[in-house]
Amino acid sequence: MKTSRRALLYSGVGVMALAAGGMLSWFRRNEEGVPSPTAVTALVGNRNLTDLEGRPRALTDFQGKTLVINFWATWCAPCREEIPLFVRLQKEYAIKNVQFVGISIDQVDKIRDFAKEFGINYPLLIGGLDAVEMSRKVGNKAGVLPFTLLVGRDGRTAISLVGSITEQDMRRRLELLLK
Amino acid sequence: MILRWLAFLLLLCGGALQHAAGQDLLEPEKAFVFSARVAAPDAIEVNYRIAKGYYMYRDKFSFTLEPQALAAGNAQLPPGKVKKDEFFGETQVYRNEVRIILPLRSTEWPERAVLTAVSQGCADVGVCYVPVEQKAELRLASAGSTGGMSLPSSLSGDLPRAGGATKGEDGLIAELFHGEFWLLIVSFFGFGLLLSFTPCVLPMVPILSGIIVGHGQKMTRMHGTLLSLAYVLGMAITYALAGVAAGMSGAMLSATLQNPWVLGAFAAVFVVLALSMFGFYELQLPAVLQSRLAGASSRLHGGHFTGVFAMGVLSALIVGPCVAAPLAGALLYISQSGDGTLGGAALFAMGLGMGAPLLAVGASAGALLPKAGAWMETVKRFFGVMLLAVAIYLVSPVIPVAAQMLAWAALLILTAIYLRVLDPLPHAARGFERLGKGIGVIALIAGIAYVIGALSGGRDVLQPLSGLRGTSASQPESGIVFQRVSSSAELDSAIAAAKGKTVMLDFYADWCVSCKEMERYTFTDPGVQRRMTAMVKLQADVTANSAEHQALLKRFRLFGPPGIVFFDSGGREIQGLRVIGFQPAEKFSAVLDQALSAR
Repeated sequence: MKTSRRALLYSGVGVMALAAGGMLSWFRRNEEGVPSPTAVTALVGNRNLTDLEGRPRALTDFQGKTLVINFWATWCAPCREEIPLFVRLQKEYAIKNVQFVGISIDQVDKIRDFAKEFGINYPLLIGGLDAVEMSRKVGNKAGVLPFTLLVGRDGRTAISLVGSITEQDMRRRLELLLK
Repeated sequence: MILRWLAFLLLLCGGALQHAAGQDLLEPEKAFVFSARVAAPDAIEVNYRIAKGYYMYRDKFSFTLEPQALAAGNAQLPPGKVKKDEFFGETQVYRNEVRIILPLRSTEWPERAVLTAVSQGCADVGVCYVPVEQKAELRLASAGSTGGMSLPSSLSGDLPRAGGATKGEDGLIAELFHGEFWLLIVSFFGFGLLLSFTPCVLPMVPILSGIIVGHGQKMTRMHGTLLSLAYVLGMAITYALAGVAAGMSGAMLSATLQNPWVLGAFAAVFVVLALSMFGFYELQLPAVLQSRLAGASSRLHGGHFTGVFAMGVLSALIVGPCVAAPLAGALLYISQSGDGTLGGAALFAMGLGMGAPLLAVGASAGALLPKAGAWMETVKRFFGVMLLAVAIYLVSPVIPVAAQMLAWAALLILTAIYLRVLDPLPHAARGFERLGKGIGVIALIAGIAYVIGALSGGRDVLQPLSGLRGTSASQPESGIVFQRVSSSAELDSAIAAAKGKTVMLDFYADWCVSCKEMERYTFTDPGVQRRMTAMVKLQADVTANSAEHQALLKRFRLFGPPGIVFFDSGGREIQGLRVIGFQPAEKFSAVLDQALSAR
């Protein structure tokens, strides 16, 4: 009697822990790394972006490609640190139909100078503070920079990354999305 | 079997932790908490409290005032810490806290002004926030006459909570409470839950549940739960009102609350309350009142929301013998905070805690309720011990340390005896009996340590046995030598004699707890001591509270210690740099830096 009750207790605790853990990881998955397809579609369809010449642009212009959308600014030190990596990866992955796009929350002249200095080989668009607001819906809860969103060819599946990223991490996620 | 579960649990936790790092970032308004106030007729003080692990760029601040004519010159930004950055070279950043002074043209007083502050910061984990715009509405109407007194400033603009309650420097004490706000709320909820496990509440729960639902009616579990909820809300709201009243009455009392006699009286009340918990006598509302309220309650009908809500209200007013003492204790405690909002919220949480078992019964049809039994007496006694502890805590500032230590010793040892430390455990002791005995043994050892400490000359409540180390006992607490001043005239001559040095004036009294904390924890910090060497250090010991002391306090619009005031090299008080209440070394160092840089 006593042992069976104890076994019941242990398994009860175990089941509860399992449920809690499962829920936790499910929640985390939902909030963090994997944003909802509708939010991603909304972001890609955002019409409030311009290019450096001031012409309106949208991410739908790159439809059919695997997108790496990087929210950044020249005044953000951690953002600047990862730009050289993006330049290298753009060159390497162009053949796999991967397109990097930078969305800068910044002034045009500063972006121009910076792009020249670092030899940025992918399109840079300008978004206002509302671009940051949009990024909140796809995983950038606190609205920080840098924030990177990887969007699959279907324009719906995506992986989001808050903060700076290591080369290894970036490659792993890209490969995951290209599979 | 168990091992396997454990391993599995560990795996789960590990998985969760791996993901955690990136996402625990604070919202910008929480990472950089903004507030602003009129610090002097000619200056606005902007304050940012910066969360740990976050920093703000010194050159990214910008301030605009509406009306513009009010602004006079540039913002005075204190020097920041140098941060080396691969890309930007050396930049200056602020951590922990920054105070920025905006000079005003004191002739151009409008009714109110709106300050727009733009700032930008980053977190150490490697992310930056986009520039944040925050607004504060400042009312300047009476600033001309009240000078450095804190003025209320509310907020406007579309940003949620751009700046908290900006009560000014003197609001620091209130802020201390704010920091622990949620802790207090949760504690009061737990307190309420415990109260519901006392012998006059728990056995009533199933009966009450029946009355609430109404007899002989068929109803869904959902409906039953909602009815219970109405009852609990009625009760909790009544308690909340009592809490608000207690908080507000405390606000009026707060000036006198540091008086030894007042503190002593409060402590005595707590002791009286505690003894009732040990069953020496019973405290409750007079029987006449109780039966009248009960009569009113029985005329209400169960099964209807309004009726049940009213029953909840009445039940809170019928203060039973187990609840009376702890409730009075809780209200007294809240009145010390002097904060009506806090009091209301805390007592509301307590009411919810007390109602939780009722809700559980409503929702689970009784399955979730622990069985009534002798253990409930233990809960009651636990409250008694807590009340006694509060009593000792209250008088601790006004009695000698040795007496304090002996009081703690008595409480701990008596608790241990009640936990039957000295009685042998029966062979077939259950888990709870063993747990109780274990706790008792710990209490006994701690109590003995206090007795030994008190008798061997230890004078530190946190380290009772420090007296045994011998030599260290007689050393002064901080090693900082203050020049004593005891009147306004003495202060003036001391400032005049300082000859261009920064002057720090510390108000002190024997009964002032945070003064002693400052001496022990802050003034002993090497960084603080180094900064203080460049200053003339004055101390006004106002323990005796003579007429001259009172005049001195009044000159600085202080009710009493603690209070530290700084004077610049010209002998003028540095506005907005007062320290009231305890500050840890790091924070105080920053204040000293500002005082030293204000020339």
